[in-house]
Amino acid sequence: MSVILTLVRKDLATFRRNRAAVAVTFLVPIMLIYIFGWVFGLNQKDKGPTGIRLAVVNASSNPAAQKLVEALKADPAFHVITTTENPDKTKRLLTEEDLRPQIHDGSYRYAVVIPADVVSAAKIGLHLKIYSDPRNDIEAQMVNGLLQKTLFSNVPQLLGQSLQARAKQFLGDGRFEQFNRDIANTVATAFGGDPAQIQRTIESGNFGLDQLKQPEKPADSTLRRLDDASAAAAAAPSGALAKEVAPAVTSSPSTTQDFFSQIIKIDQEQVTGKNVKSPAATRLVGGWAIMFLLFAVSGGAAAFFDEANTGVFQRILSAPVSRAQLLWSRFLYGVLLGLIQLMTIFVMGQFMYGIDIMGHLGNLIAVSIFAAACSAFGMLIAALAPNAVAASGLSTLLVMVMSATGGAWFPTSFMPEFMQTIGKFTLVYWSMEGFLQVLWAERTFVELLPTLGILAGITLIVMTVAIWRLNKKTIFQ
Amino acid sequence: MLSLRSVTKRYGALTALDGVSLDIARGEFFGLLGPNGAGKSTLMSLAAGLRSPDTGALTLDGVVITPAEPCTRTGTGLVPQSIALFQDLSGEQNLRIFGQLYGLHGYVLRERIDESLTAVGLADRRHDPVKNYSGGMQRRLNLITALLHRPKLLLCDEPTVGVDPQSRNAIFDYLEKCNREGLTIIYSTHYMEEATRLCSRIGVIDHGKILALGTLDELLTQLPFEEEIVFPATPATGPLAAQLRADGEVATLDGRHRFRPRPDFKLSNFYARAEALGLPPRQFTAARPSLEAVFLHLTGRNLRE
Repeated sequence: MSVILTLVRKDLATFRRNRAAVAVTFLVPIMLIYIFGWVFGLNQKDKGPTGIRLAVVNASSNPAAQKLVEALKADPAFHVITTTENPDKTKRLLTEEDLRPQIHDGSYRYAVVIPADVVSAAKIGLHLKIYSDPRNDIEAQMVNGLLQKTLFSNVPQLLGQSLQARAKQFLGDGRFEQFNRDIANTVATAFGGDPAQIQRTIESGNFGLDQLKQPEKPADSTLRRLDDASAAAAAAPSGALAKEVAPAVTSSPSTTQDFFSQIIKIDQEQVTGKNVKSPAATRLVGGWAIMFLLFAVSGGAAAFFDEANTGVFQRILSAPVSRAQLLWSRFLYGVLLGLIQLMTIFVMGQFMYGIDIMGHLGNLIAVSIFAAACSAFGMLIAALAPNAVAASGLSTLLVMVMSATGGAWFPTSFMPEFMQTIGKFTLVYWSMEGFLQVLWAERTFVELLPTLGILAGITLIVMTVAIWRLNKKTIFQ
Repeated sequence: MLSLRSVTKRYGALTALDGVSLDIARGEFFGLLGPNGAGKSTLMSLAAGLRSPDTGALTLDGVVITPAEPCTRTGTGLVPQSIALFQDLSGEQNLRIFGQLYGLHGYVLRERIDESLTAVGLADRRHDPVKNYSGGMQRRLNLITALLHRPKLLLCDEPTVGVDPQSRNAIFDYLEKCNREGLTIIYSTHYMEEATRLCSRIGVIDHGKILALGTLDELLTQLPFEEEIVFPATPATGPLAAQLRADGEVATLDGRHRFRPRPDFKLSNFYARAEALGLPPRQFTAARPSLEAVFLHLTGRNLRE
């Protein structure tokens, strides 16, 4: 045992002296997790993208259109550009003709035009034009989503105006006015209020959709959603109606999703992971931790060849040291380094994203030990590859494939079924399972045993094949 | 002390050692002289217990050396051909690790590390990473690492490859000192100068076989001539070298011809031919034959071919 410990100490000392290896093992994964945390909005202070350059041309005289421009300006997600420079350096408002060349020369990548016919009697809905240079699809979808959110959150009356215009064209002026008057009278009869004021509110297109975002308002404000001014004069609705309306109003900030979630009410109960403070971070950190563990142990494969080529193995084995002791020392070193690496990354995960490590420390260490045991993977690479260069290429390929199919980058449920099945044969998948069972599902140690058993089985298989192959090679001679 | 009995080792179709039998006595400084690929390193690795022979056996003081029994390796120390050290660690850390692998600990280990580093002039660089050492310093550390546990038998597998003359002499001095103190050494090399300087007995090896075995004088007596004539290999001397091939061996190495005459050849003939070709006599030197000549005589080729 003392021989094995000596060799493990040697490996740790060598690792500590190798600054590049230390950086790749600890700093790089932590930095990447931090960066990806920003990308995915995991950082607590981060509320999404900011400062996307967006050109806005407002060709509509509709007051709600100007309100939309102001709302876009107020949204930190956008840096709104409404003017451009003339050749004589004077400024003027952007026109639609300016957009194409300016997008082409890279001044901005997105532009929205609110045309004169933003609300049209010709069809239901709003008419907006978007010009873009969508360098990546995700960004383009994100901008569209943000625009929709701003629109529905701030100027929902534009949609109401569209409905009104369409109804007016369909019914004709006289019948349309009668139609609105009938609705206003019906509302006034049922809930009280001034029928004329209610009719003006309806005709403005403001159906009170924007009021859905104000949960703090009392339930008796049903009519205030139609018009704050008329609601002042409106009588309080019955208690029964108030109780019915109140639960539909969520306490979350107003978003497009909130709007629709109040139209379709879904009762949702989260069965597991209720106490997880940072769900996305829990998966992200676990995935990246196991991926970088594999990269670290793969580096050990190259070190295997280095020590063989420089004669260090021969020198060690010319001492009273058996091959078994040498291989066990490598294995223990891998487990130890892997455990330190995983725990360091998780602790940083707690520091950065509030992942609850301390509450699950025992089980997390258990899973980490078994996951780190898969560091035998590095020995397998050394056993399979003919030289250090091949080992490096092979390990990069295997780590990437296993990380992708095993769920280190994204949930395996995103992939086709056959890929999910393949993923279950990777140690990444079972390591991820272990981490999520501990940090997400808060399983007990006994409940973790099947997963730990599978990880141990993978280690056993990998180790057996590695030793068998290594003994067939001349790496020790 | 070390005994090899009909040892054969093959790598596929290549026979690296072919029925080698050899006895090394205690306190001997034995030289294993042969060109690259002759089988020297294989013999060393068998003696170090890194490999098993296909047939035959090696014993150290009567104990069979085998990779399966690590404890049989406590009596040997191996100085590999390469710098087999942990480059990122300091010289002292390297010595400590290898010392511990041989079971040394505590005060004894510390004392031996101090002694060894001082002996080869590395005491003041003990904390520096090995990668910052010069080639000669690394070679010296490579050597003392194998001696820390005080082995009975030291196996030096071409330990001075790429070493500057100063460091080489320092290594030679240290090895000679250790040998005087009773250490048995097997020293493999393809430099005849090293074997000539260091070794009390020399085995000439080629194609996996020991071709000759003995002291330097014993080996030289195997030659059919007592001296050789050395002269520059130039276009002017080319015709002379061609003529001499009929009267003995002419080897060309390092820009010089070495003429080893048959016993019945008269030196006066040589000078007569040289004079006839207009070659001045001052460029011809008569010298005692070397191990190179022995190797050439035994194998028909030069050591460094």
